[in-house]
Amino acid sequence: MLFNSIDYLIFFPVVVALYFAMPVKWRWLLLLLASYFFYMCWKVEYVILIMISTLVDYYVGIKMGQLTSRKKKKPYLILSLLVNLGMLAGFKYLDFFTESTNMLFRELNIDQQWPLFNILLPVGISFYIFQSLSYTIDVYRGSVQPEKHAGKFALYVCFFPQLVAGPIERSNSLLPQILHPLEFDQQRLVSGLKLMLWGFFKKVIIADRLGMFVGKVYENPTEYTGLPVILATVLFAFQLYCDFSGYTDIARGSARILGYDLMINFNRPLIAKSLRDFWNRWHISLTTWFRDYLLYSLPYIKGKKIIIGKLYRNLIITYLIMGLWHGAAWTFVIFGLFHGVLLVVETITEKQRNRFFEFTRINDFPNIKTALGIIITFSILTFSLFFFRANSLKDSLLLLSNAFDFGNFSQSLQGILKDYEVLFGMLMVIFLLVAEYLHEKFNLVMVLSSKHVILRWSVYISFIFFVLLFGVLHKQMFIYFQF
Amino acid sequence: MTGKFAIRLLLFATLLVAVNYGLDRSFKAFSIHGILNNMMDKQFAEYDGTLAYLTLGNSHNCINTRILENSFNYGSPSESFIQSYYKLKHILEQSGKKPEYLILQADISSFGPKIASRFEYNFYWKKYIDYIELMRIKNDWDILGKWLEGKFFSYAGNYKDIQLSILYRIKMKNIEMYRGFRPHRDFRNFAGEADRQKVAWSKADLILSKEGYFDPAIRVYFEKILQLCQANDIKVLLLRIPMSKEFYEEEIKIVPVDKLYREVEAIASRYPVYVRTYDYHDLFFDHPEYFFDPDHLNVKGSDLFTGKLSEDLARMIN
Repeated sequence: MLFNSIDYLIFFPVVVALYFAMPVKWRWLLLLLASYFFYMCWKVEYVILIMISTLVDYYVGIKMGQLTSRKKKKPYLILSLLVNLGMLAGFKYLDFFTESTNMLFRELNIDQQWPLFNILLPVGISFYIFQSLSYTIDVYRGSVQPEKHAGKFALYVCFFPQLVAGPIERSNSLLPQILHPLEFDQQRLVSGLKLMLWGFFKKVIIADRLGMFVGKVYENPTEYTGLPVILATVLFAFQLYCDFSGYTDIARGSARILGYDLMINFNRPLIAKSLRDFWNRWHISLTTWFRDYLLYSLPYIKGKKIIIGKLYRNLIITYLIMGLWHGAAWTFVIFGLFHGVLLVVETITEKQRNRFFEFTRINDFPNIKTALGIIITFSILTFSLFFFRANSLKDSLLLLSNAFDFGNFSQSLQGILKDYEVLFGMLMVIFLLVAEYLHEKFNLVMVLSSKHVILRWSVYISFIFFVLLFGVLHKQMFIYFQF
Repeated sequence: MTGKFAIRLLLFATLLVAVNYGLDRSFKAFSIHGILNNMMDKQFAEYDGTLAYLTLGNSHNCINTRILENSFNYGSPSESFIQSYYKLKHILEQSGKKPEYLILQADISSFGPKIASRFEYNFYWKKYIDYIELMRIKNDWDILGKWLEGKFFSYAGNYKDIQLSILYRIKMKNIEMYRGFRPHRDFRNFAGEADRQKVAWSKADLILSKEGYFDPAIRVYFEKILQLCQANDIKVLLLRIPMSKEFYEEEIKIVPVDKLYREVEAIASRYPVYVRTYDYHDLFFDHPEYFFDPDHLNVKGSDLFTGKLSEDLARMIN
């Protein structure tokens, strides 16, 4: 079920009404059933995967809770890792590895080709498996107590607002909320609806509109050169951001109405001043997951000494796996590797860059320094998106080479200027950036809340109908569902 | 929930409903497609002449009813076999009129998945389409949303229609329609395009899909039209409208044309009412000046094409 569908517009109010009408002790059950239903609307059979992950991690959690030493807990943790990562590998990466091996065999003239399984990727598998895994790792580390209530634990794994595209919640944040649900709160209803509306704006006004142009270029890489290719890639950065953060806003808004607080997943990432800053602002629930459960779990200390080289190596490995998390394709491997290597370069060259800024006196002009940082970071990000968005490595390389062919510049420019959708989309991007900037400075929601009811309602109603009228309402899938 | 909050909520909801109602009504009154389609319905209801030929199809269908005698052009923009079926069913059940021949536009683009998922102007189509049946056939709950859109939210997502309605009013000034036919747009000429191949590719990419050439729902409704004609003894002629050479070249890159034609012919041949297919797709391959854009004839093109069709039909009857 998509958030931007009639189904959800019917489903969600019904769930909210039933939820608060129900006795508190049974509310978890309603949410659990609703969450399974939500998932089964996409494909009934694949709910079994969620159930397997839930049952195994529930059992593992209980068992580990009965033990004190990490050594004794370890086999259970390994069981959880094997089952969860095994499912992920089987359903998401098997064909990728098979295809890659076949390719290698062909290159080496080995007469062996393994069959592909063409498995349909279960929506959101990377999200709920990571959420469930974080619980077992936390129980193993002793930072979280195992949950004894199987039903409430099951709800933690599959809570519908964030089931298919995050934020990837942690058990110490979401489980206590499931154990102690809040009563209906009118303020939460209002702020949740506002957040959902903002999410819909980002999704149907910006992301899906830009997606039409981006899709056209990226699905036909041989047809475009120069300006359209560069513009499509730049706009894809905004499409991706609006699509994913729009989803997150709708998820957080929905959860808020039900009395649950989900973590902030984006913090204006497109104005990041460095690559490190970008990853601190983009898909925060995923980057912190990798930081907490992978990056610092890889060895980098010898005796009591931190081996910097190993730390850098770990960083590259982490980002490479994070790239692969996004999708089973070499394009994502390159995307992750590119970011990992550049993060290392960024760290290594920090002193030199600071010296350069002092030497050129750019430090005396902080605004220029900030702008420079934003432009460079955004350019690096955009470059990496050639790999992220393209359908294959071949396509991404073709688009990259086409991007700098400006042979028919004026014709391309004319074509773009005639495309009202693109122009309108770009205008909305500017609106978004300004609104986000103003919101950070003045908290626009609070400012608006303090205004007279007529003005306030006029703004809300205008905005609702603006989204309805100018939205691309053709049930476009959220990009991150495929991950 | 406090009483005051509940009242505010109710008031806000009432305001939303009121604004929605206003927008819905305004859009229905303003939309050029609504106006044209309703005008066509009115002309059909008032038409009391001989109805030898009834033509159905989308905006490609440009049969000039002043040239083809005893005919009514009931095709409308974005119409697929799905809409055509329900319209024909409505005609036969409600109007008391029955054509001798149904001329059904059957271009390459008439069968693909993109055309099958295009449900525009539902505020007009809701009087014809059985959305529950359609939902069942397509196995898609979202069809219900189309009905809702047509009934209460006609404006939702239809900003392009507003843009088109404004443009139409500026360019066309007055609406001329004769037995459902209105002269095609003539304020642009395809021959004048700097890169005709690119324009043609762009259009083909918009309406055709590599993911399928014969959509299952379209197949069902194509057969339903034939069954309906069989039951009512209406002879069926399939028609391939002239396209620009560039557009056809792009079409055949996406769609396995021969395979599609064979499948269509195999289905149609099962029904005794099916007479034949008239294929004019290459009639004006050397005349880009007869086209408004890659896949629409202009006024001159449509007149010449209808003349040729009339001759061929006369020859067939004689």
